[in-house]
Amino acid sequence: MTRPAWLAQLWTLAPVLAALLLTSLLLVAFGASPAEAFSAMWQGAFGSQDRLLTTVAFWIPLLLSALGLLVSFRAGLWNIGIEGQFILGAIGASWVALSLQLPAPLQISLEVLAAMAAGALWAALAGLLKRWGVHEIFGGLALNNLAVILTNFMISGPWQPPEGGSFRGTAPFHADALLPLVGSTRFSLVALALAGLAFGLVLLALRNSRWGLRLKALGRNPRSARLLGVSSRRETLLAMAFCGALAGLGGALRVLSWFDSLRQSISGGIGYLALMVVILAAFRLFWTPLVAFFFASVLSGSIVLQLRTQLHSSLGDILTGVMVLLVLLFGNREVLQTWWSEVRSARRTPGRQS
Amino acid sequence: MRVELDKISKSFGPVQANRGISLTFEAGRIYGLLGENGAGKSTLMKILSGYQTPDSGRILLDAVPQQFRSPLDALAAGIGMLYQDPLDVPPFTVLENYLLGQPGGLAIPRRTAADQLRQLGQHYGFDVHPHERIEDLSLGERQQLELLRLLSGGAQLLILDEPTTGISAEQKSVLFNSLRDLARKERKTLILVSHKLEEVQDLCDQAIVLRQGDYVGGAKLPCPSRKLVNLMFAELPRRAPRPRPVAGTPQLELRDLVVRTPRLALQPVDLSLHAGEVLGLAGLEGNGQELLLRACAGLLPLAGGELRLAGQRQPRLDYLAARKLGLHYLAAGRLEEGLVSGMTLAEHMALVSQNGLFVDRAASRAQTRRQIKQYQIVARPGSRVEELSGGNQQRVLFGLLPDDAQLILAEHPTRGLDLRSSDWIWQQLDLRRREGAAILFLSADLDELLERSDRIAVFSGGRMSRLLDARQTSLNELGHLIGGGA
Amino acid sequence: MIFHKKVVFAVLLSLTLVLGACAPAASQPDAAAGEDAAAEGLTIGLILVGPRNDHGWSQAHYEGGLFVEEHLPGSQVIVFESLNPADKPEATVASVVADMVEQGAKLIITTSDEFEEDTTTVAASHPEVVFINVSGDDARTGEAPANLGNVMGRMEDMKAIAGCAAALNTQTGHIGYVGPLINHETIRLTASAYLGARHCYETYRGEDPAALKFDVTWIGFWFNIPGVTLDPTEVANNFFDTGVDVIMSGIDTTEAIDVTAQRAAADEAILAVPYDYLNACDSAPAFCLGVPFFSWGPAYLALAESVAAGAWEQSWDWNAANWDALTDPGQTDVGWLDGPALQGQAASDLHDFIAKLAAGEVDLWAGPVNLRDGTVYVAAGQSATDEQIWYLPALLQGMGESQ
Repeated sequence: MTRPAWLAQLWTLAPVLAALLLTSLLLVAFGASPAEAFSAMWQGAFGSQDRLLTTVAFWIPLLLSALGLLVSFRAGLWNIGIEGQFILGAIGASWVALSLQLPAPLQISLEVLAAMAAGALWAALAGLLKRWGVHEIFGGLALNNLAVILTNFMISGPWQPPEGGSFRGTAPFHADALLPLVGSTRFSLVALALAGLAFGLVLLALRNSRWGLRLKALGRNPRSARLLGVSSRRETLLAMAFCGALAGLGGALRVLSWFDSLRQSISGGIGYLALMVVILAAFRLFWTPLVAFFFASVLSGSIVLQLRTQLHSSLGDILTGVMVLLVLLFGNREVLQTWWSEVRSARRTPGRQS
Repeated sequence: MRVELDKISKSFGPVQANRGISLTFEAGRIYGLLGENGAGKSTLMKILSGYQTPDSGRILLDAVPQQFRSPLDALAAGIGMLYQDPLDVPPFTVLENYLLGQPGGLAIPRRTAADQLRQLGQHYGFDVHPHERIEDLSLGERQQLELLRLLSGGAQLLILDEPTTGISAEQKSVLFNSLRDLARKERKTLILVSHKLEEVQDLCDQAIVLRQGDYVGGAKLPCPSRKLVNLMFAELPRRAPRPRPVAGTPQLELRDLVVRTPRLALQPVDLSLHAGEVLGLAGLEGNGQELLLRACAGLLPLAGGELRLAGQRQPRLDYLAARKLGLHYLAAGRLEEGLVSGMTLAEHMALVSQNGLFVDRAASRAQTRRQIKQYQIVARPGSRVEELSGGNQQRVLFGLLPDDAQLILAEHPTRGLDLRSSDWIWQQLDLRRREGAAILFLSADLDELLERSDRIAVFSGGRMSRLLDARQTSLNELGHLIGGGA
Repeated sequence: MIFHKKVVFAVLLSLTLVLGACAPAASQPDAAAGEDAAAEGLTIGLILVGPRNDHGWSQAHYEGGLFVEEHLPGSQVIVFESLNPADKPEATVASVVADMVEQGAKLIITTSDEFEEDTTTVAASHPEVVFINVSGDDARTGEAPANLGNVMGRMEDMKAIAGCAAALNTQTGHIGYVGPLINHETIRLTASAYLGARHCYETYRGEDPAALKFDVTWIGFWFNIPGVTLDPTEVANNFFDTGVDVIMSGIDTTEAIDVTAQRAAADEAILAVPYDYLNACDSAPAFCLGVPFFSWGPAYLALAESVAAGAWEQSWDWNAANWDALTDPGQTDVGWLDGPALQGQAASDLHDFIAKLAAGEVDLWAGPVNLRDGTVYVAAGQSATDEQIWYLPALLQGMGESQ
């Protein structure tokens, strides 16, 4: 507000620096060298072409989920249910993969479409629950649990591999059902292209479409939006479904490229991670891929970190978690604005000139 | 405490809001700050209360220069501002809201604090219920609460921005009595920002007039109102004459309409409103007129009865459907219900007036420019609505009304606006009615009701009076009905 | 807000540069260290499905790794724990193996059937490294590339001892078995426990083996997943409510013995046989008959020594117990440890049974062995082959089953 400019700049630096500092202190406390640890992480994320591609392969589903969240956040929705939507996408893709045998391009297109539809449907359910008075955070959490149960049911029941039922996963999909991979990595150019498309679509939706404008109005002030002719029911459902479809696509890429079958814990919290990404990116579109890539690199790097230093590999989780927490603590005004938009609009004074 | 403003200047882009203003406020006196919309009153008061920093100039308290970095700073130094929209947190209770502003905050034992709050209220003549929710209070009650919060925070100088808009006559007299006591007995300094000359004449010791960012003069009060008006306006605004009513087809018909909320049940209402007609709803805040207006727009569910729009029965009216039938609602809180903070004028225009998948930015900008010209809005297409003054926001809302609006429902259409803007708003409404629109509005300003309506309905305790012909009735009769008379 | 973005970008960029600057400086000594290690001794990669301190399956493997480091001079074990999609969505077997190989690992052990398929795939792309998948059978079936072997402890005998201990102590003639999920491994282990129980019930108690009730309830996974699996606590309680007085555990966690301890404290005459972990009796010694346990140290040491000497050859190892050192985790791959509740006649009967098993005087798998549906699996006069035992398709006649 009225702080000097240099202080405002420092304020933005603070959470990132503080997170690094805290993590370094933690490392020193465990008797490890921070320089060595961070260099191990760097090696793990970018040390070779394969590692870089692996990091990118992990980044893509995370990015897709985060892009979806930008849309639901724009409408003022806290779509915690993204984790379940991601899982449903994986289940949808697996359903096509296990039940059809078509030429690869057709097969993969159908898998992707089924995944997006499943994710969208799951998200729309949370939207419907909201209409019936269940806040999307609680509805979303319940649906997340249901998605996990559904995965376990499918892999231990109807889709169990021929050698017997366990909760491990389905049998591997046939080759035409899987995305073509680069070398021995899990990276697929198709997945990258889909992520690029999704980015363009979100850019178009948020920056140039009338729908994006309606979501903005709804997210910032639902009461005004209604008087301006915006249907909160319809736009809530659509925003949720859009987000769910992108998360579902992310889930599909997990089963079709990262793994080769539907596994237990197919997501492992990528949806929740995406929430942290968009919060850290302060809901800004062009920052989202960068922050997501930062997260992917840190986590990917922490594998080598564990092997090199024999420290617990949750150091990566700690680093990212601390960073988001600090950003919130240090008061990212955009975040608070979204969260408390109603409260703030009541607090703001009407004009500045009269 | 003696407060001095020394050559305060502030500009927003090309707009010079304050230009080298120097003023002195003495303890124990009540000042009235007057000026047209956009004269720079709010900016000056925001600077004094620490909400904004001046580009240049100083604030001195008892000759000591001060630098306020936030409203909290200013309050700590003894300056408190009561905003037109109180800065409270609606989902909280009265007590919680009060505690939020106290040192020690929520750690204070609830019971002690509740007693404290009740006593404080009693001291200043306010009826305070600590466990009520803010969102259930009337604007007047929220104001009282805010005033208590500022006083308990140690305010020596109190700034009141349009404190009487939206509160009842009774609440107003309570407020004015407390304000007089504050000045005379407790030697507080009071600054009243107002558009209502009679109030300023009634309450204040001295008037200060701003015009287009400059201090243009002052006067000891009371003085002839003509003198103040001359200072405020370079030229005197002319009131538009009231057009003759044109009775057309019925636009809105109500039969035994019943509306219920937890706080109030509206007794069955029968009413019809014709194209070209203006119907005013009078009554103290919270007596049912708001419920009726909202129910007619589909913003509140009907508990019984029948509602017809343009002759068509609407058993389950929804506002979005009503909009398609040409019904438009203008709410009182412009930034809370009407405009979206953070969105520009052009974005608002694109939202309501364009079709198709994508926003045509060039077209919406051009259209906004036309509306800005036509509705004399001081802004650019890229301005965010919250940067506009209240009067300009109201003009934007009118600019967003489509040309084919058939039925306009308005809450307090001119609340907080100066004479010129109010008159302009009514010119617009009259234009609409001549084109065949029906207008239903509610207002707390009895003069406005008498002057602008064709017919008036008065609400008291959820019951609607018989319909009065605005040309036949009088202030006295309205007052009698508002007080619950038959 | 514009300067805002620039600042954050600058920070991320400089962070990246700083990390980048550190990386080569720090990685050089590392590479040197890697060469030294290769010259000195063997580097072994150990991939765990759970945390290294889970008091169960993964901890037993981790301790096996420590055993190797202790007994093979110059050897170094690098551990990657909790490799499962829930804990580490960002890691795969392939990426962890690639990193281990880069650090000089010449032997990589993947310690779960979860990794069986991925190990087979990844082994093919690192032919210079020896891979061992624990509990798998690819080396037996021929699906494995030449550098992949399997190892498993012959827990079946220990489960038979556990079943015998239960049968020697039941007063109601009713034993309950809390089973995990259903696969070949769990079927053959549960069946072994039943065979041991039936044998001892007849031989030492002089009772009719057909009168012994032996009920298995599969919870659906290795441990409780609320809302997904049956709750093992409930399963155990249900057993005791329906006449069971000795309960056996086949799952990774300790619910069976915990419930036993609680209810026995209220004077119920009930006992338990836990599983997996050497010290599993410690939580309720007074009601614990003993524990069948895995010890991976000796097998891993043998593997490491053969790889270090360049003498390793592909094999599928199903390592039997060292009968002379059944209680010493340093000398046997699987073992049995008496619990404090095993007393008097029952104790001496059990030791007699163990001695006869060790000497080969008792063959529990001698025909006739019938499956639960009555199908003859091993005909009278024959004995089951290893392959028949390993791939036992269903529980046996006389066992009760629910899930």
